[in-house]
Amino acid sequence: MATSQPPLRFTSHHNLVYRLVLSTLTGQTVHISQIRSSSPTNPGLAPHEISFLRLLDAITNGSQMEISYTGTVLVYKPGLITGSTSGTGASGGMITYELPSNCNRGLSYFLIPLCLLAPFAKAPMKVLFTGPGVITSSTPTGDMSVDSVRTAILPLYKQFGIFNNIELRILRRSNTGPTGRGGGGEVQLVFGHQVRLPKTLHLMNAGRIKRIRGVVYSVGVSGSNNARMIETARGILNPLSPDTYIFSDVASAPLVPAPDKTNPQAKKKIGLGFGLSLVAESSTGCLFSADVASPPSGGQAPEEIGKQCAFQLLETVAKGGCVAPAAVTTMFTLMTMGSEDVGRLQVGRDVIADPNVVQLARDLSNFGAPGWGIRDAPDNGDGDVIVSVVGRGIGNVGRKVA
Amino acid sequence: MVVKRKRETTVVSKPQAKEDSPPPVDNAQDVFRRLFEAQFEPLDLPGPTAKSTNSDEENEDDDDSDLSGSEGDWDGMSDISDESNQVEVVEHTGTYAAPTDRMDKKTWKAFMSGKLLSDLEKPSTEPEPTSKKEEEEDVHESANLKHDLALQRLLKESHLLESADDLAPTGKNRLKALDLRMQSLGAKTSLYAQTKMPTAHRRGIKAKAESKEDRRRQEAKENGIILEKPSKVQKSSNNGRRDRGLVGSSVGKFAGGTLNLNKDDIARVQASGRRTMGGRGKGKTRGGRGGRGGSKR
Repeated sequence: MATSQPPLRFTSHHNLVYRLVLSTLTGQTVHISQIRSSSPTNPGLAPHEISFLRLLDAITNGSQMEISYTGTVLVYKPGLITGSTSGTGASGGMITYELPSNCNRGLSYFLIPLCLLAPFAKAPMKVLFTGPGVITSSTPTGDMSVDSVRTAILPLYKQFGIFNNIELRILRRSNTGPTGRGGGGEVQLVFGHQVRLPKTLHLMNAGRIKRIRGVVYSVGVSGSNNARMIETARGILNPLSPDTYIFSDVASAPLVPAPDKTNPQAKKKIGLGFGLSLVAESSTGCLFSADVASPPSGGQAPEEIGKQCAFQLLETVAKGGCVAPAAVTTMFTLMTMGSEDVGRLQVGRDVIADPNVVQLARDLSNFGAPGWGIRDAPDNGDGDVIVSVVGRGIGNVGRKVA
Repeated sequence: MVVKRKRETTVVSKPQAKEDSPPPVDNAQDVFRRLFEAQFEPLDLPGPTAKSTNSDEENEDDDDSDLSGSEGDWDGMSDISDESNQVEVVEHTGTYAAPTDRMDKKTWKAFMSGKLLSDLEKPSTEPEPTSKKEEEEDVHESANLKHDLALQRLLKESHLLESADDLAPTGKNRLKALDLRMQSLGAKTSLYAQTKMPTAHRRGIKAKAESKEDRRRQEAKENGIILEKPSKVQKSSNNGRRDRGLVGSSVGKFAGGTLNLNKDDIARVQASGRRTMGGRGKGKTRGGRGGRGGSKR
């Protein structure tokens, strides 16, 4: 059926991950060309993109991917999302996935798309991320921390009727490595709620912020940094929201093997630093998050980080709507995958004007989803818009067969 | 802009004031300065140093001039503070919370576990301090529940009690009461129901129970009382056949992991293929089976 269709053609590396996710969810083959073809030094797929393709390979059955010699052309023919069934690379019901040390993206780069695929898997999705490339903190490349994924992205699935047995455990923390690459973290994702179709979402009341929670972490550095970050962040946020609590976590630096000529067993400490993740929850369950971590080059005081993060949170809340910019892709993709019904979502004007969201809308329509209906939100002075998304009703192919 | 204009006026006023006083010709630096200022822009030297350069004998006049142009001098001071001595701004944020509203260890663990945020709000609301009145109510409530339970038990088990004096059954009666409770909780049969007994004995019991039930129904019918419908007679699931278990073979005897076939079995198996021998073989095997079954029991 889908195999006989000609592949959908895309160009450039922009939004590559979500194109692959949509391809896997809809079962359509994609042909992506001109991937960084204009770059004379690093043409083709980047290391983290290759890692993501390998992850897709690990959690699906029967997917085929062809990469050209230069890496500038990719053809991906998706298979069935199996999850972690034993016999397909999973040991003890858990897929162990190792990230290489040249990965410069945070783990959320892999986690968020993986969580989008997980509800449509055939079996529960249990993945253990390990290896010298796992960065749990937020990164300078713009990825959020794993804490924020847990506290601000995963709870959103509840609104789609996906809430059982979802866990994201951070077994070992790691900030970004010294050159902005690599880490040594360990994270375990358990996504045990598979559905046939996500529920239709109608979310048009952002409510008021009722509580702010946060996690502050320091890896391999003094725990007093945590107290300093908390103090500054609370100094800003407490007058605005009295129910503000920031939890502190002090971890030792992870060790990764660094063999040299004299000592092949040598290990080195990596991923030192500190950071802060804040989540604001509104009375209607909308979540807004902010993430700042110390840069790999260092030279920023914890107070500075705390201040930046608090202001970033306020800015995210000020953008309005029911969805934070970081979660908007997740929401729209799940709404599109829902039943053939119109779901509505109120978003801030700045949120939807983001180039990534526009790109997502274009990609979705390329994959055959009906266009979005956008209108101004009634009786709202903030300039929010209501986006109506019609579900495709494809849902979980694995569930349909089984 | 405004500041600059002010500065000009002040500095212009200064030499005027100084001209009123006897000219300090002995100070070569002042002469040079005035010459310079006549040609170019006025210099702005810090006040105190200018003062120190003045000779001691003109101290009084200097004071006079300061008094006369007090406004101008004040402006000059603000000028100086703008230029050289930056005011140090100390930021004091005193909004930090008291240590009492730090999270306790339990909440920390709950939050930092892998669970989602939405699942965690239940335990976090739990340890909220309850008022004394509520606690008292809770105590009453639990006491009431205890009394209720005692009453229910008494009603159910009162037939076991010998006298009304001791309300708690003791000895044999206590065991019987426990058994009753077990049954009310869902035990299939009584703990004291005899499992093994001679068939005749069991039949007798069964027959007695049936006759009792029949008599009860008969009496009810005569008195015009409508009873519950008789419960359906349980049919044994293995319709007439003994359950042989997993390895049960229809032929021979399975013991110690081996299937033992005696002569009869072999003969039977061989006979089943032949029609001529069928009648006799069948009869023989039937007898054999029955005997074997009995011995197994």
